[in-house]
Amino acid sequence: MKAEARLMPKQGLWLVPVVALIALSAPRMEFGRVGLAFASDASAPDIAGLARFWPPQIETRTDIANLPSLDPDRLPPFSRLETSTAPIRELDPDTLETTTRMSQRTWLVSPLGYLGDVALRMVETIEIGLWGTLLAVVAGLPLAFARSRAIGLPFALQISARLSCAALRALPELLVALLLVGAIGFGPTAGVLALGVHAAGFIGRFYADAFDDADQHPIEAIRATGAGRMSVFIVAVLPQVRASLASATLYILDRNVRMATVIGIVGAGGIGQELKGRIDLYEFGHATTIVIAIFIVVAILDEFAAHLRKRQSS
Amino acid sequence: MSGTGFSISVRDLSLRHGNGDVVLTGAAVEVAPGTICALLGASGSGKSSLLAALGGRLAPVAGQVLIGGRPMISRSRRRVQARIGTTYQDHRLVAQATVLDNVLAGLAPHVPWWRCATGRYAPAHLTRATDLLERLGLHAALHHRRAGSLSGGQAQRVGIARALVARPSLLLADEPIASLDPQTARDVLALIAREARESGATVVCALHQPELAATFADRILTLHEGAFRAGVEQPQRSAA
Repeated sequence: MKAEARLMPKQGLWLVPVVALIALSAPRMEFGRVGLAFASDASAPDIAGLARFWPPQIETRTDIANLPSLDPDRLPPFSRLETSTAPIRELDPDTLETTTRMSQRTWLVSPLGYLGDVALRMVETIEIGLWGTLLAVVAGLPLAFARSRAIGLPFALQISARLSCAALRALPELLVALLLVGAIGFGPTAGVLALGVHAAGFIGRFYADAFDDADQHPIEAIRATGAGRMSVFIVAVLPQVRASLASATLYILDRNVRMATVIGIVGAGGIGQELKGRIDLYEFGHATTIVIAIFIVVAILDEFAAHLRKRQSS
Repeated sequence: MSGTGFSISVRDLSLRHGNGDVVLTGAAVEVAPGTICALLGASGSGKSSLLAALGGRLAPVAGQVLIGGRPMISRSRRRVQARIGTTYQDHRLVAQATVLDNVLAGLAPHVPWWRCATGRYAPAHLTRATDLLERLGLHAALHHRRAGSLSGGQAQRVGIARALVARPSLLLADEPIASLDPQTARDVLALIAREARESGATVVCALHQPELAATFADRILTLHEGAFRAGVEQPQRSAA
């Protein structure tokens, strides 16, 4: 009797929110646009479609009108001059009608020039990651000392360090970068500070956890010799946690280089800034080159980090 | 060199073990500087707790411990602790550090921290550490092994070397030969006694072997039912 009274079997209840989501929310998500990625015609001129991302652009072309000091007989290595004729629409000042005339322009083409530009931006990105990590360690280490129960600084200090670490971690890098770009302007400085501030919270927590997870018996034994706090740390704590500190730092470095590719989008320097700029200029081929470069660098970084971790654990 | 050892004065001492059990009630004893004492007593009789209180690691429930005339609960106890060497039943070595670094850790209160950090110890200190290890039967091949890879008996002797390396005025040894074979045990006790005689140090050594205690010590202290048992001493060697 009781089983018959149940209108819906309990097992099927999870279907209700899923059906509701599909019925109510799917139309508002405009999933039909996915199809536009494969559109090749001009049916939607403001949509790039995936086709315009191919091929990747690796050359740079500069109008020689912008290069007054260029000597045509002594071009930079591997570069060439190209002349193209293109129609230009102009307003005739006398008749006030638009006229079309053919204009000849000469370009300096460096066939691999854009790869060089991307490489330079990539180096800048990695630099931002490295500096961000250095800043995080410098700022996070005192936090870790204050936070750790094993180091045993006054309780109020431990609590405030704990809260500071949580607060720093709670601010996403992208948000901090956006604020800092507003405060100190575009460029890598904002990126370094944003990464450093966020990762300092992580370093403070990871390092403090490592100190607390260390075997306390030898630490107590050295403390009982009447040695000072610094000596106890160096002699009894550091040898135990060195591997954990290295692996936490490596994780932060890995994470920071990845994030450094992203925070450029809000103007904080590095490859992301270039990517955002190219997309804004509808130069999708350039964007593809950048995405491939990021992919390669992150893959290499992944392998490198895994290699270091393996060497450390052996 | 005699006379640099600490006197020990235990007055009406009551101690509570970490698990809350009261292990000593109103224990009292006086030990003259330079005396080698063996501390006997059944398991759980409070030997380790007494050693912890003597080293300033365990605060008494009642009573007083004076080492070299100074109370071990005062703020200045670190200066006294720097002249106390301690060995532990569980050795308490830094497993990830080398044998030599573990021994040199015993010098931590006596050298500036940057010497510990850079490993730039004075040659005399290094000689002292390697010499002690050799005399304890731990040869050069072992000195750069990680302490965590040692056998129990080897780790025990590294702990003894760490306790002795700074030439302490008081050695507190908690069953320092528990993991050793009988011959090595006798050698190690003889080494401790010789070191103590050379520097005039006072020794309190918890043991489980009354026959070894009789040959090793000037004086035997026995803990029984929370206090020192009177009258079981061995005064004939204290003049040596």
